Amino acid sequence: MLGLVLRRVVFSLGALLFVSFVLFVLTAAIPVSPARAVLGFQATETQVHQFDHEHGLDRPLVVQYGAWLGPVLHGELGKSLVTDLNMNQEIARTLPITLELVCLAFAFAVGISILLGTVSALYEGRLIDHAARMLAVLGVSVPGFWLALLLILLFAVDLPWFPPGGIAPISGGIAEHVRSLVLPVFCLAVFYVAILSRMTRSSLVEVLSQDYIRTARATGLRRPLVLRYALKNALVPVVTVAAMSFGYMFGWALIIETVFNIGGMSGALLDAINQRDYALVRAVVLVFTMIFLAANLLADILNAWLDPRLGKAPR
Amino acid sequence: MQSAFGLGRRRLLQAAALGPTLAMAPQWEVDAQTGAKTLTVAISNSPANIDPINMILHDPLVITESIYENLVEVDVNGDLQPQLAKALPELSADRLTHTFELREGITFQNGQPLTAKDVKYSFDTTLDPKRNAARRSVFTNIDKVTVDGPMRVHVTTKIPYRQWLWFMTKYMGIWPDGSREKYGDEYFKRRPVGMGTGPGIFESWRPNQYVSLTRNSNYWQKGIPHWDRLVVQFVPEDATRVAYLLTNKTGIIGAPPPRDFARLKKQSGLTGAARSTLGGWSVMLLNSLKPPFDDVNFRKAMAYAINREELAKRAFFGLVTPATVPAPPGSWWYDKKADSIITYNPDKAREYLKKSKYPDGATFDMLVPAVPYLLDVKNAAVAIQAELQKINIRPNLRLEDPLIALKHSTGGEAQCLLINIMQPGEPTYLIMVNLTPDRVMSKSSGWTSPELDKLLDEAYGEPDQAKAKVIYARMMTLLAEQSPYVWLGFFDSANLWRNNIKDFKVNQGLTMRARDVIPG
Repeated sequence: MLGLVLRRVVFSLGALLFVSFVLFVLTAAIPVSPARAVLGFQATETQVHQFDHEHGLDRPLVVQYGAWLGPVLHGELGKSLVTDLNMNQEIARTLPITLELVCLAFAFAVGISILLGTVSALYEGRLIDHAARMLAVLGVSVPGFWLALLLILLFAVDLPWFPPGGIAPISGGIAEHVRSLVLPVFCLAVFYVAILSRMTRSSLVEVLSQDYIRTARATGLRRPLVLRYALKNALVPVVTVAAMSFGYMFGWALIIETVFNIGGMSGALLDAINQRDYALVRAVVLVFTMIFLAANLLADILNAWLDPRLGKAPR
Repeated sequence: MQSAFGLGRRRLLQAAALGPTLAMAPQWEVDAQTGAKTLTVAISNSPANIDPINMILHDPLVITESIYENLVEVDVNGDLQPQLAKALPELSADRLTHTFELREGITFQNGQPLTAKDVKYSFDTTLDPKRNAARRSVFTNIDKVTVDGPMRVHVTTKIPYRQWLWFMTKYMGIWPDGSREKYGDEYFKRRPVGMGTGPGIFESWRPNQYVSLTRNSNYWQKGIPHWDRLVVQFVPEDATRVAYLLTNKTGIIGAPPPRDFARLKKQSGLTGAARSTLGGWSVMLLNSLKPPFDDVNFRKAMAYAINREELAKRAFFGLVTPATVPAPPGSWWYDKKADSIITYNPDKAREYLKKSKYPDGATFDMLVPAVPYLLDVKNAAVAIQAELQKINIRPNLRLEDPLIALKHSTGGEAQCLLINIMQPGEPTYLIMVNLTPDRVMSKSSGWTSPELDKLLDEAYGEPDQAKAKVIYARMMTLLAEQSPYVWLGFFDSANLWRNNIKDFKVNQGLTMRARDVIPG
């Protein structure tokens, strides 16, 4: 197990370094200087050049990368080019908001999809299975932004059960805070409920048809116990996909945070892209990459626990 | 493993619980629950900074116009009014020097009394080339500002130039003498507590979320503001901004979706109004140095081929007032005769096309902002494309980010850009920067005319409105006959607000005016 963790950590660090370089090159390749966002389109070329010089944007790319990477390795992400705010502080302020949103949506998606997938597998080909399939198709097909707008119209405007946007601060009452999270969490989770429930179903159907399960049933093992063993094996691919989904959710959160006007880190990424704030784009994407890699590392460890064969070193 | 996993899960839950506690409540949300009078407005654009001499976008100026004031202001009807000055300035015989007498007893929000030295300092810092302020170029016709006693200042311009008076409201403010050196420019950009004389004192700013101001209880205009706190929320998504209004999460919204505006303003509990701006061009910027726009007949063919009335109705949903020249029909400098030179006339368009170097028509790239800037033009782009194709002029629509599109245009690379641009409510600014040499947008047009330069100089020096109107009529006639650009009209300033909001008036200068509003 320790070997697996070490291998994965080394791989993750390498991937992080690679992503940081690609990210740097891609953002630097965007033709418009952030000076245009800061100084405006009426700024003269001289003003733009001065801005670029002051912010080191006129230096060779490799030099810029080195100058950026050094402090980043010490945990110092620098300042935003547009707002000049300290990015460590900005990320510390916005990450918990996005993290709460994503974690709750993830927990909701995993919980519901395992339940739905298991029920579908147990009642394969029956009405409940078909109904679950229909729900999954809808979940995958309905665009998140459209669903969000529809839910705002129905449950915030027509029926004022939930606020139309923003996250109510916890100091204003836990009930209000939770109320403000319901719609965005649901919208963020619904796509992944569809994906993970279908995956759980198909994986469980396959495992339930395995010889060892039939044998277990034949020996008279109680059904819940059989299901528990079957689920443990069926969840291996689900865990892998779920870990990937956790990372992808930060991307989807960008749309959800925009529609619900939530001041999280995904929304900040969109604003940074619009404002050509490359420094903030790099910092946010780097943090998301770290979360993505950490989620995958956790999934590998979890899979090794679910299926100990995976934790053994390759021969 | 089982117990270790269980422990990890508990720790994970504990860590997750930290998330919401870290999301601290902004003071204004806490106060809103205690009954403090909060005026909340929602706008679509978020500022990069809140320094009036460095702000670019128009709608976030509601923040700076509530913090800072200037010698004179342009009111919501577009009229010039004294603000920190007792009266509008006296003009010297040579029309170069404007003299202002300051009101007595005004203090900055930090308690410091306002004097003539502060006024001089504010203009000097704005014009300081080392400071590189984004709005410096607007004031470069000012030669010097001199102090004449504690409450009197003279502003001398390099040429007879009265137009600068209209730029003070949006692009500048008065701040205490020495404050920029004492606090630094970053302070003005991020947290300018106590730096203005206006009704709102900066309180907090969460980038891309909101800016909040508290009531200036020592404000010199007694009895206002009526709010204890002004919160400007940044909500870029149209539908969410409307939902905020419908659910009373905000009191007033800017830039309502054009398609829904007419319906929403009739909805129970809401009020809405729109009025034509005095400086908001909806325009096709044509580059006369690039074919096919290097031929005046071709440009005129385009101008005659577009049905502006239909465009305003169907593509802009009534939020653009049609005009064929850069003068809004509601302005004092509007000349109906000049605006009647170009009409919708496809036959005439074909005639001009035949006379041009491109009698068989031509193809060109038309840049269109992908993200709405001030007002969405994408519907209009498609309608214009259809109109022009009828006379065999074929625009290829190219969607670009507004900043990139403007960069291509101002750099002289673009053939044509369809866009909305905004100037203060006076006639000369956009004409000057677009159609005279060596200005920031000169390369967008590539078109100059000694006759226009002469007319502009005449207009700058003419203080009498009736006489100036004659000059502007000649100017508009020239622009209609030469058609360096195709003007479509002037876009409206529009707002929706809840019925319990009192004394709110739509500003012809586009930016919301919060000072006099009574919150619900």
